[in-house]
Amino acid sequence: MSKQINVALIGNPNTGKTSVFNALTGLNQKVGNYPGITVEKKEGICKLPRGLKAHIIDLPGTYSLNASSLDENVVIELLLNKNDKDYPDVAVVVSDVENLKRNLLLFTQIKDLEIPTILVINMSDRMEYKGISIDIPYLEAQLKTKIALISTRKNKGINDLKELITKYKELPAEPCLDASVIDETYFNNLRKVFPNQLLYKLWLVITQDVNFGKTDRATYDKVEDFKTKSKADLKRLQQKETIKRYQFINETLKKGQTIDLKSAKDLRIKLDRILTHKVWGYVIFAAILLLIFQAIYDWSSIPMDFIDGAFASLSEWTKNTLPEGAFTNLLAEGIISGLGGVVIFIPQIAFLFLFISILEESGYMSRVVFLMDRIMRRFGLSGKSVVPLISGTACAIPAIMATRNIESWKERLITILVTPFTTCAARLPVYLIIIALIIPEGRFLGVISYQALTLMLLYLLGFGTAVGSAWILNKVLKMKSKTFFVVEMPNYKLPLLKNVALTVLEKTKAFVFGAGKIILALSIVLWFLASYGPGDNFNNAETIVTKQYASKNLNEEELEQKIASHKLEHSFIGIAGHALEPVIRPLGYDWKIGIAIVSSFAAREVFVGTLATIYSVGSDEEETIKNRMAGEINPILGGPLFNFASGISLLLFYAFAMQCMSTLAIVKRETNSWKWPIYQLVIMSGFAYIAALIAFQVLK
Amino acid sequence: MNTIIQNILVFTALAMALFFLIRKFFWTPKAKPSKSCGGEDGCGCH
Repeated sequence: MSKQINVALIGNPNTGKTSVFNALTGLNQKVGNYPGITVEKKEGICKLPRGLKAHIIDLPGTYSLNASSLDENVVIELLLNKNDKDYPDVAVVVSDVENLKRNLLLFTQIKDLEIPTILVINMSDRMEYKGISIDIPYLEAQLKTKIALISTRKNKGINDLKELITKYKELPAEPCLDASVIDETYFNNLRKVFPNQLLYKLWLVITQDVNFGKTDRATYDKVEDFKTKSKADLKRLQQKETIKRYQFINETLKKGQTIDLKSAKDLRIKLDRILTHKVWGYVIFAAILLLIFQAIYDWSSIPMDFIDGAFASLSEWTKNTLPEGAFTNLLAEGIISGLGGVVIFIPQIAFLFLFISILEESGYMSRVVFLMDRIMRRFGLSGKSVVPLISGTACAIPAIMATRNIESWKERLITILVTPFTTCAARLPVYLIIIALIIPEGRFLGVISYQALTLMLLYLLGFGTAVGSAWILNKVLKMKSKTFFVVEMPNYKLPLLKNVALTVLEKTKAFVFGAGKIILALSIVLWFLASYGPGDNFNNAETIVTKQYASKNLNEEELEQKIASHKLEHSFIGIAGHALEPVIRPLGYDWKIGIAIVSSFAAREVFVGTLATIYSVGSDEEETIKNRMAGEINPILGGPLFNFASGISLLLFYAFAMQCMSTLAIVKRETNSWKWPIYQLVIMSGFAYIAALIAFQVLK
Repeated sequence: MNTIIQNILVFTALAMALFFLIRKFFWTPKAKPSKSCGGEDGCGCH
């Protein structure tokens, strides 16, 4: 059996660790040109030369081993606990060629833990462009390490890195800095008490508030005595340590790295001046958003019409081809219709993520974070809250996890509580179908379609509600906190086609297979509940309806429709829906929408699949979902069920309601309490109900 | 015969669907997943 070693990938945020991880393991973890992509460790296997295997652990980005947030703690906990099964045999510190000085601070700290360490200098393809040259042998000698100069974008140097990992036993484990230079007396005392322990490791145990694991606890408990120095004294020593390290790094880079500013062709400053301008920055951002939503509508209509028609034909074909019976009906009316309600949105979701991925890859997203920080501060949020709020456009779950890099608990909690207001991909199918039904197809000023404009407004409404709620929570929550905001401004890059394509593929796959499985299962259950029912009213529907309409001379088709409608009303789902109707009628909804709202508590996009299933039960015609919904009549008020008033009411309900069980579960996990998700559920759903009620009553 | 087979298939599909939904939403897993909600961890929120 081949030997397996543990390799930890460590580095500052946005140095391309995840790209190195993907290059080594062949996996496709999400990468982006903005910090905070990795908040938990990720693992993969890499085959090395000479039959060796490496278990690669991609750790969250950290600027130093002085942790200030949860994701940074993950790194320290692993490096300080030799008994951890993932404790690295070799640490690979990933740095960015343009920020080598800052990146080396973390490198020297890890070296001082005497872990065999390789320094990876990534983004080497930008050296010429930036006028940077590096004396590798000199740096290797000074830093007592081996260096791999790589470019994950150009796929260069990965094999050299694999070769270096294979020879990890030859790596020197000497420290860069003698820890006692920080404070000789203090460290000499420490050495006397722990003669066999590594001084720098003890120093981290004293200064960092992390969980070191049970096994080493006995040893580390004794260091409590060394915390007797006041907090301010310890902070002063930490600052001294940083200064000493930078003195060493400056000295090393003076000879090891030269930057010829004359040969640097830098567009970045000019672009930053415009894109982060206090007026033009926002105007450009709004224009980009508008362009994205317009393109989503203009480019998706043809494939969407095709998919809609194809599913309607497939349902019809199934009914006509397979033997008549309950299972054929389940396939045609339940499964195919339900799945059609999801698949139809693939083009729009793919286009949305195409644009988001291009913005991330190009480095523009970090400028947006910087721009938004100015606004966020006024509402009690940190600039770092923008990353979760933007990630929330995909899904609230990773977005809530991304709050782990917010240092202040109050700001983190507020961000967790308001992130579900951001318009996630699951809301998109609901918005798109309702907008298609109630907003006319014309164009504003002949350019921007009204439908695209409505969609953009809904996104802004979600973001605005999140920020507004944050302001209220900031006033209501009585917690003290201090925070600072540092954001990495990556260079502008031409988006890599491969990364963009992978993101689009991954997000679309997640949408189809993640939600698809739930929708498939729910479609089966809903079809069953809509096709079976208790008592005579359901079982003798044919006799009852025939008798009821005997005098009205209905043709066969009309009579069949009346029977189907009677059966649906008295099916299990009809009974449940009617019980629910008094609560939702003031919002302009009928019992069928009520059922769709209840089932979509599992996941919002289930709403469309549910309606598609309910409306197709008993229908013999080849109809698209949109046409079926457009043809529904309000049983009480008359006229189309999905009119402007009920449509806006539904849009507002879905904009504000907490319709996602998975999000509640993750909020419970991240806050370690049921209190916050329950507050979130009650307040968001109550607010959604009131907003939808007011909208319908005013507009009807 | 055809009706019986079709009914058996319907009830089998229903049982499988219910089992899937109950397991998904009401079965609390003991161990925390080590990977984040990325592509295919089935968080069901996408």
